Amino acid sequence: MKKIAYFDSSHEMPLEMIMAAGFTPYKILGDVHQSNDPADKYLSSFFCPAARSWLTEALAHSQDWAGIIFAQGCNATNRHYDIWKVHVQTPFLHWFGAPLLDSASAKKFYRVELQRLISHLENQFDIKITSEKIKEAIGKSNEIKKKLQRLSALRAQKDIPNRDYLAAVIKCLTSPVDEVVTWLDSEITAWNSKPAFPVDKKRFLLTGGDITYVEWMDTLEDCGIRIVRDDLSVGERFFATLIPDANDPLDALMEYYMNIPRPATRPTIQKRLDYLYQALGETKVDGVLSQNVKFCEPYAYDSVPVNNALKDRGYKVIHLERDFSPAADQQLANRLAAFVEMMEVGNNG
Amino acid sequence: MAEVKNSTDNSCRVKLKTLPHSQDLKWPMLWWIGMEKLYRVLPWKKTAWTCAAFPIELMWIYDIFPDHPENMATVAAARKQSQRLIEHAESMGFSRDLCSYCKTNIGAYDTGIKKTLGGISKPDIVVCTNAICDTHWKWFQIMADKMNVPFFMFDIPKWVSGTDEKTLEGNIDYVVDQFYDLMAFIEKHTGKKMSEKRLNKVLAKSTELSNLWREIFEHRKAVPSPYSGAETSAAFFPLVVLPGVQVGINFFKKILADIKTLTARGEGTMPAGKEKYRVMWEGIPFWYRMRFMYDLAQQGVVIAFEPYTYSFAPVKKKCLTMEETLRDVAKLIMDTPYAYNLERRIENFEKWIDEYKLDGVILHENMSCRPSSAGMVDLAEAIRKDKGIPVLILQCDMNDPRAYSEGQIKTRVEGFIELMEAKKK
Repeated sequence: MKKIAYFDSSHEMPLEMIMAAGFTPYKILGDVHQSNDPADKYLSSFFCPAARSWLTEALAHSQDWAGIIFAQGCNATNRHYDIWKVHVQTPFLHWFGAPLLDSASAKKFYRVELQRLISHLENQFDIKITSEKIKEAIGKSNEIKKKLQRLSALRAQKDIPNRDYLAAVIKCLTSPVDEVVTWLDSEITAWNSKPAFPVDKKRFLLTGGDITYVEWMDTLEDCGIRIVRDDLSVGERFFATLIPDANDPLDALMEYYMNIPRPATRPTIQKRLDYLYQALGETKVDGVLSQNVKFCEPYAYDSVPVNNALKDRGYKVIHLERDFSPAADQQLANRLAAFVEMMEVGNNG
Repeated sequence: MAEVKNSTDNSCRVKLKTLPHSQDLKWPMLWWIGMEKLYRVLPWKKTAWTCAAFPIELMWIYDIFPDHPENMATVAAARKQSQRLIEHAESMGFSRDLCSYCKTNIGAYDTGIKKTLGGISKPDIVVCTNAICDTHWKWFQIMADKMNVPFFMFDIPKWVSGTDEKTLEGNIDYVVDQFYDLMAFIEKHTGKKMSEKRLNKVLAKSTELSNLWREIFEHRKAVPSPYSGAETSAAFFPLVVLPGVQVGINFFKKILADIKTLTARGEGTMPAGKEKYRVMWEGIPFWYRMRFMYDLAQQGVVIAFEPYTYSFAPVKKKCLTMEETLRDVAKLIMDTPYAYNLERRIENFEKWIDEYKLDGVILHENMSCRPSSAGMVDLAEAIRKDKGIPVLILQCDMNDPRAYSEGQIKTRVEGFIELMEAKKK
């Protein structure tokens, strides 16, 4: 089955539409091991390095994809679309204008955008996207979300390395759906048989921008940090809630995508905090690690009020700005290690 | 180039009548400052924070004073205060890579700096759009939360390259729906109601103000240029906060009359024979270093056109009904030249290059404005290829003096001028 790739800075792409159209949804995540030189011909170095990596990936691999859909996320997704339209070879490029708000007006507009996406897919690929096909896709999507919820919950109970969790979520976002469903079953079994949560690790909630490469998770591991909760799009945001039942599957998608835990690219900060408070209420943690990749504006803005609010509630919070690189950043590692050390002596700095 | 290389030799310095209308500009500014004081004293009056691309006219329609954090941030920069305010915001945790307007405003509010230095007071409501950037709503929401003030945001769909008419109509529908959401928000938080009579009156004045500015731009097509970017950067102030009131109209009429006199005499903003190169400046100026534009003038360069100030004066349709008016305003919010998509940017820039007889283009790749900086490489390539004129991409920042590197910028500008000179031979 061919892939339709999507450019999505959070979790705004209704990938059930891609599934209903008969394609495998593939979230473009770039490759941190590849130089961004190809993208840097068109974008300066002060643009989000992850978004530049996505462009680099598309320049090299777009011919493997049946098409590309942009879902409106942050600033990066706006005018970058224009650049992709010029330089990325693809027979199908679509802009999905996911609204930022969740008002009645926004819901009405969301449906208009869904219909426009359906029409474009149908015309381009000479297919019919029926309600039944969308409902079937929703069913599969929910199945994956439920299994990921089970897998995710094991992080706080078992010895699950940070990289294993991230690798599992990435696989779910980039691999054929049926393959993922089977694979998740075997993974749940494997994770259940792991030893109990290691006593020498600190439990953390990870918040901020998406981590898209396992090496950074290894750095956390090396500092004695185990991520047991998160609110990332390549993480819990993707599976925290299920797509509701509704007679009209478009209503179901609209309700789902407008009510998922909010990323920094969507108002309001309070709604984002609400999910963090909920997660922190459900799972006991030692600390909160807030981070964003350099030049990521939405999370950099949010980091100040969000982290202050968490600190006001007594949580131990550290914020880091990281590079987009697989190499361990020793300065950051030192800060993290010192933070963990201070926890051990009962001082949160 | 001899003049450039020997720019320290005062004998060849171009004497410029800087800001010829600065005296005339004082009255609209004083009027605006006075109005704010009045609106804050009278209990039934209300104030709002607004941003670029927000239809400021709506505030005047509702009799709400539109304060403007970006405008005040430029004041802080011009008064050499922005760096310390930015650093103050950074000390609160805001990253060095975030918008310098935003950080100037956060610093100004937090330190309580005087209005004359770029300070700003707490409003009754905060309203904004994401038409230009996400920063606007992130920043305004953070400040609304901090000040405990009601917040409203217009979600403006993106007009990306290749957007068709049908999609555009759907986008307009969404924005129009939000006008009604805004009306409900204003009524809830200020008790004020929409008056169609006042709407028509304010929009008529706003249209007149826009038309005057566009007429000024028509005269800027003359060679030599009667009005440069150095002048418009200050003079466009009424378009930012005074669309819909009379005081700006009077000011623009005065400018227009003077420009007409200049062009009738065949004179320009620079002394006779000194205008050598006509350039377009794309992006926001370096507010902390407006002298940059006068430095250009020393080398015979006049900024004959800039999309930035032009953006504030769109062509407004005469509408018969309120619904028609709202649809027109909705389209204008999405259609601001500052936020054009790449295809429309190239098309319009090339048209302006012809109309304003330009010799080169300077693109300010603004580290504080990533949306406007995206696509500049492609824009530059298209202009070079299609129009055969030099394009300089200058990476800097609009409000943060730390980004301005005197030597590097001077060298790059000199190289750009050499290219324009070579093209003229």
